[in-house]
Amino acid sequence: MREALRRALPSVLAIVASLAACFVAVGLTRGFGTAVDAFAAMLWGAFGDWPRFFDDGGSGAVLRPLGEAGTKAALLTFTGLSVAVAFRVGLFNIGAQGQLMVGAVVAAVVGAQVELPGVLHVAVCLGTAAAAGALYALGPALLKRHRGVHEVISTIMLNWVAVSLVENWLVVGPLRASASGDNSISGTAQVHPSAELPRLLGDTSRLNLGFVLALVAAAVTWWFLARLKRGYEWRAVGLNPEAARAAGIDVGRSVVHAMCLAGAFAGLAGAVLVLGTELKYPATLGAPYGFDGIAMALIGGGHPLGVLGSALFFGGLRAGGTRMQLFGVHKSFPELIQGLALLLVAARYVWDRLLARLAKKEAARA
Amino acid sequence: MLELVAALFSSVLDAAPPLVFAAVGATLSERAGVVNVGVEGMMRAGAFVAAVAALAMPTPLGVLVGMAAGAAVAFVHAWLCIRWRSDQVVSGMALNLVMLAAGTFLLEAVFDSPNATPSIAQLPKWLGHSPLTWLAFVVPVVAHVAVTRTAWGLRLRAVGEKPQAVAVMGVRVSRLRFSAVLLSGALAGLGGAALSTATLDRFEHHMPSGLGFMAVAAMVFGRWTPLGAAGAATFFAFGKALSIGLASSAPALLTVVPQGALLALPYALTLVVLAVSGKKSAAPAALGQPYDPELR
Repeated sequence: MREALRRALPSVLAIVASLAACFVAVGLTRGFGTAVDAFAAMLWGAFGDWPRFFDDGGSGAVLRPLGEAGTKAALLTFTGLSVAVAFRVGLFNIGAQGQLMVGAVVAAVVGAQVELPGVLHVAVCLGTAAAAGALYALGPALLKRHRGVHEVISTIMLNWVAVSLVENWLVVGPLRASASGDNSISGTAQVHPSAELPRLLGDTSRLNLGFVLALVAAAVTWWFLARLKRGYEWRAVGLNPEAARAAGIDVGRSVVHAMCLAGAFAGLAGAVLVLGTELKYPATLGAPYGFDGIAMALIGGGHPLGVLGSALFFGGLRAGGTRMQLFGVHKSFPELIQGLALLLVAARYVWDRLLARLAKKEAARA
Repeated sequence: MLELVAALFSSVLDAAPPLVFAAVGATLSERAGVVNVGVEGMMRAGAFVAAVAALAMPTPLGVLVGMAAGAAVAFVHAWLCIRWRSDQVVSGMALNLVMLAAGTFLLEAVFDSPNATPSIAQLPKWLGHSPLTWLAFVVPVVAHVAVTRTAWGLRLRAVGEKPQAVAVMGVRVSRLRFSAVLLSGALAGLGGAALSTATLDRFEHHMPSGLGFMAVAAMVFGRWTPLGAAGAATFFAFGKALSIGLASSAPALLTVVPQGALLALPYALTLVVLAVSGKKSAAPAALGQPYDPELR
């Protein structure tokens, strides 16, 4: 437990420092009184409006924000796991965004064009989306294994290939919903009700089964990486591929398998977005959850449960961000907090040095 | 037909400069061994700051301030990667995310608008195009000469291939890398400034909408050389202009070849080139590795 806390400390410090810096940024532009109100609004919107709950006892004041937080956290968990799993074998999956788009568009097509009974339909949608994401990640993995192409470059390229093909062609072209009385004319056709992920809190919130799936995915990934032989092999490959090869581990195979799992997670994020909240592939996906996955993986220290933790926290802030608009702060403000926290995590060695110096002072005093 | 070609040529001259500057900049940084996937964020900083500065001063000066802003973002990247040996890809992506959010935040907080800054005076036109268009012909040549024909360039290339060897010669590796990354940021800032002062007359919230990543693609496509990167950037700009031109002049063709496929082409081509060149890739040998003076 102490060890876990010690490992989480730099991330926690980074988040606290980032929150402080962003608070000052709002204070300097909008006045510090407003900054306090805006941050309070964000927190109530993120983790439940507890003061109002105790005032009038309406559970919606707490459940609605928490539900929205969970909805966002589910997506961040999946893309975060995607990046974290690839990290485990030493690959940097910048392509989660592209894999997510491919998964989302496949989920939208299977959800709208195929007719299947309830549970089966959801399962098939999720399965095909995961497979599509995995397939989209297979390319960079094979290029890496056989041609030595760096995965950072190839996944960046594939992100933009996905944007161009999905959003500039498929969604505005062949897959575009035909306007039929229904007002929605942008994006693809609506998915069938049988393909929608069931809502967990009824009409109170958009929180859906995706949240449960994300929790399960994080737990299973942790179990796999920490407890199974294959997970151990992946870690060995990530730490030192030469040593792993000498120990008889098939490095190339590990890289390909891990990258496919990473793509599957990102594809699932896309499916959960489409089947859980959007119910179609919209004209543009909006928030770049795939890139957020990089932040989740690194702030979470590459550990599946760390990813889950940071996704829950930043998912909450995301949900609360919309409430900051009342105070003249753009709703994407939590992304600034998140980006800055990531930058500070990237500066890990600065923290290490700082903490070591503090520890030394402590020791000198004792 | 001739008119069409002239129009196409003219729109390439307008669209290429931001990409050319950013691609040449990225090349300088990577030749020194520092990965720069933060070009997008540096361009955004340049575009925003140039537009804001031009509200208060003549636009050409604003462009210079935009360059400084790009260099400032690059300074953070250099400091984290060189002084603290942080992961270069992480640092670059983090800066992208910070700049994306910071631009939106400042737009709302300072100008009370989620979309754009107020309009500024655009750069004057020289021979029908912005001065930056003509500068885009000069910069790659200067960079090419600097990289291939000067002592600084020789050291720069050596630092990207085998920094230990250069250190033995008495060259300060970190200082050289710092200068390359700062230059790269200034050029990316110039590219961004070109978007907000020459292409348009204001900063818009989506800028540079992926051009930074396209610049990285151009650098790879151009095999990490300034002239190659500039050529690839121009080619990509041509592809974009062609797809937009076709959409208006020959919409029938676009039912056969969808516009999305044309837009995907630069990235797909870069992938193909990488796949074909494979391990013989032109990437500098020490790219992405923090310099460790203990290593021999």
